[in-house]
Amino acid sequence: MTQTPDEIRGRRQWPLPKLADPAAPLLEVRDLKTHFRLERGWVRAVDGVSFSLADGEALGLAGESGCGKTTTALSLVRLLPSNGRIRGGSVELFGIDLVPKSERAMQRYRWREISIVFQGAMNALNPVIRVADQIAEPIRHRLGQSDTAAKRRAAELLDLVGIPRKRLGAYPHELSGGMRQRAMIAMALACDPAIVIGDEPTTALDVMVQAQILLLLEQLRRDLGLSLILITHDLSVIAETCDRVLIMYAGKVAEEGPVERVFREPRHPYTRKLLGAFPNIHADRRTLEVIPGQPPDLLDPPTGCRFAPRCPFVMPVCSEVDPPEVRFDDGVRVACHLFPSSDEVSGASPATPTAAGEDAA
Amino acid sequence: MTAPALPVSDTSLRPVGRRRGAFLREILRRPNGAFGIGILAVFTILAILPDVLVGPLQTAVTATGPRLAPPSTEFPFGTDQLGRSILNLTVHATRISMVIGLLATFITVAIGAVLGIVSGYVGGRFDAVLMRVADFFLVLPTFVLAIILTAIIRDALGTGSRELFGIRLSLLVIVVVIGITSWSSAARIIRAQTLSLKERAFVDRARVIGASSGHIMRRHILPNVVNLIVANAVLTFAGAILTETTLSFVGLGDPFQPSWGQLLEAARSTGAPGLGAWWYFVPAGTAVVLVVFAFTLLGNALDDILNPKLQGRR
Amino acid sequence: MSLRYLARRLASAAITILLIVILNFVLFRMMPGSPERILLGRIPNVSGEVVAATRERWGLDKPLFPDQFVAYLAATAQGDLGFSYGARGRPVTDVLLQKLGPTLLLFGLGELIAIVLGLALGAYSGWRRGGVLDHLGNGLSLILYSTPYFLLGMALLLIFATGLGWFPTFGIDTVGRVYSGPLDQIADIGFHLALPLATVALGLVGQYSILMRSSIVETLSEDYITTARAKGLTEGRVLRTHAIPNALLPAVTLIAINLGYVVAGAITVEVVFNWPGLGTLTVDALSSRDFPVLQGVFLLLSVGVVLANLVADLTYGILDPRVRT
Repeated sequence: MTQTPDEIRGRRQWPLPKLADPAAPLLEVRDLKTHFRLERGWVRAVDGVSFSLADGEALGLAGESGCGKTTTALSLVRLLPSNGRIRGGSVELFGIDLVPKSERAMQRYRWREISIVFQGAMNALNPVIRVADQIAEPIRHRLGQSDTAAKRRAAELLDLVGIPRKRLGAYPHELSGGMRQRAMIAMALACDPAIVIGDEPTTALDVMVQAQILLLLEQLRRDLGLSLILITHDLSVIAETCDRVLIMYAGKVAEEGPVERVFREPRHPYTRKLLGAFPNIHADRRTLEVIPGQPPDLLDPPTGCRFAPRCPFVMPVCSEVDPPEVRFDDGVRVACHLFPSSDEVSGASPATPTAAGEDAA
Repeated sequence: MTAPALPVSDTSLRPVGRRRGAFLREILRRPNGAFGIGILAVFTILAILPDVLVGPLQTAVTATGPRLAPPSTEFPFGTDQLGRSILNLTVHATRISMVIGLLATFITVAIGAVLGIVSGYVGGRFDAVLMRVADFFLVLPTFVLAIILTAIIRDALGTGSRELFGIRLSLLVIVVVIGITSWSSAARIIRAQTLSLKERAFVDRARVIGASSGHIMRRHILPNVVNLIVANAVLTFAGAILTETTLSFVGLGDPFQPSWGQLLEAARSTGAPGLGAWWYFVPAGTAVVLVVFAFTLLGNALDDILNPKLQGRR
Repeated sequence: MSLRYLARRLASAAITILLIVILNFVLFRMMPGSPERILLGRIPNVSGEVVAATRERWGLDKPLFPDQFVAYLAATAQGDLGFSYGARGRPVTDVLLQKLGPTLLLFGLGELIAIVLGLALGAYSGWRRGGVLDHLGNGLSLILYSTPYFLLGMALLLIFATGLGWFPTFGIDTVGRVYSGPLDQIADIGFHLALPLATVALGLVGQYSILMRSSIVETLSEDYITTARAKGLTEGRVLRTHAIPNALLPAVTLIAINLGYVVAGAITVEVVFNWPGLGTLTVDALSSRDFPVLQGVFLLLSVGVVLANLVADLTYGILDPRVRT
């Protein structure tokens, strides 16, 4: 990183929201519970997830599909399907809790503070509006700039992500997949947000284009000091791009910590399986099936550790007691009975949400 | 998160047909399905037992009441200009309308299913030409065509008092004409389904072991489009009732076997709305609306069940 | 819109019209009675020379195909559709043209009102899905959809003309009335137009609203709507600039395709109100078995529907950039 967190916050073009606490961390998520209502009950898609994001940091969210990583990210800006509810926890941006905000108030934070690069930009871009106009739209309507200023800024952004000027008037279908993803990134940068979420930004692309997009993200992160949350099932992408990684399983955090620590010395059996399932850095989903069994039904999750039924190291306690989070000295936290809080691994301590909050304060 | 959306037609492949009882429960569990079935049950009873419920059909000769009289205890729905009981006429018309609707639906869906399956399975030039014709029929003001065809066929056959299945020939002409003019949307939908089935492994397997095309279409394609055919038939029924009613209204009904449309035509030509004789057309009108409404609700319920992709969106 | 798209649409419309004429030719030969008789209608005192001239002109002594067919095509192209059996043997084209105006007035306006109202209601109801208005509107739309147009007309006639006496019961203007000026005449026609127009508009609005509602619901589940919401745009803006323009695309196509079905069924409204248009003409021609006129109506309505479809296709081409290239 070429800039310190303070410098990054210093280059912010827009004042912080009124209620912001300048000393608070950029993003602090505590015990987030997002559930989906079905006729038969609530699906606990995200069930007590905590993490934080510092200025200029890149956090990778990984796990099998359906583990709740996308729901976690969409919960930050409350872009949930109509049957989704945040039923507990807090999402603090600059110390402001977004969860109790009204829909109208929430709109003020979307895109200006947290923007999203969606997967498969063909569907994420409106097919009947010119790409440049879609980029200009938030500049005009969220930042209140004039039509011409917004258009000019959109052109600059397209430049920045490497789309030639002559494609300015293009419609989404006239661009290649890689170009569309670049446009999507340009759009996410339109309001100079504090956090950019990448929801599987490279999944739909072929390997060469994937590499180009990752390079672009990396570059933008360095040049603009972006704070990034990257959601992907592809661990190699996280290894290349992120500072820290959060592994989710069945709506809960399995393991979280610095990328090099977690990938070099995975502690949670699920992380080990996940990493073991990637002999080749560019292998894809297919190899994930190596882990035997299915993720649990989140409508009625089993008691105790949710990974227990598939875990090779399963113990009697696993199916009875929720594993507490254990924090290690190297910055890794793990929720697994293999690492009981009493069984000291060089000063490990249980990391309850409150404890984590105090640490940060 | 964004799996490629299945074509809508493809999602109706769930083996619902294997558990008919469960299927019926599934329909009745939905308010629109239950409501639709309820209304149709009532009209089915009326159609089966008109003589038991209101006595034999009254004619100009057997009319017993005063002329164009409003509802009274003796004639709960009033009388027409010949003194016949509107209640009697409307209940008898139920049978005619429902039977014509049923037969017309049967012919429409049969033509649509055969053409759709063959066109989709055979493919090539045959398919291209047939679908062009289907599109042609889809765009055409088929109702005017139906008027002309009915008139021409009737004049050619000559209208006597000949009957088939207890239905006068003049009305059967309407049945056939509805079939000829409204098969195209069924054919299109069933063809789309056939196209996707054709690519399935089991069809390939059958082809590899040397099954004939006819055999594959009958044994492998048809059973898999039955659900779709049923769902389509329900909506076609609604359309057929409307078409029959309208054809009768413009004067193509048969006064000797009055349908609801025929009654409405009689009401209009008598000038019932202008005379304030609401009882003349309100019963038959309500019947048409209720039955078409019921079929539409039922069709929507079936659509919900067969296309789970759309669930929760309605 | 690309030239190729335009050319394809035009060619398709031309082929459809050709198919309609072929169908008409087949119908014409299927008709009872000799071709001369059909062609000359019931013109009294037809001389032998006229019959001979007709046989010559239509190639009736020559084979059915290609000679007679070509003669038929040529005549149709020149607007020669034969003579009406009734109306003292007037040319069918004259009869049709006389009735076209009132029908265009009634259906042009009715369609317009129904499209604007139906699309707006459907969009609102799909957007507020599950709300009270949505349920009410949905039920009402389905009931209107299930009601034959003429029945709706009879009900309106009974209530607002016979019952309340607010509107006249029949015709396009007051018979025998002397107008003090063009405004007076327009007011009188408008007065007569109100109920039939309301019938047509009400009859269609249900279908269009159902159609637009499902289109909006479908569109609102698209990823680009989530993108628009993620941008922090207001709900109204998401609906106006992202959902509606996309939802209109399938709606435009479906409205155009349904037109043939709708217009033909709705002509019965004219009968209820004695509106002197193509619908009344159709029913009168039917009762006197005036086949040339029936065929003429069919041809005219078909071509009208094909042209309306062409307009819809071209509108689609303007609305959707994907077909422009």
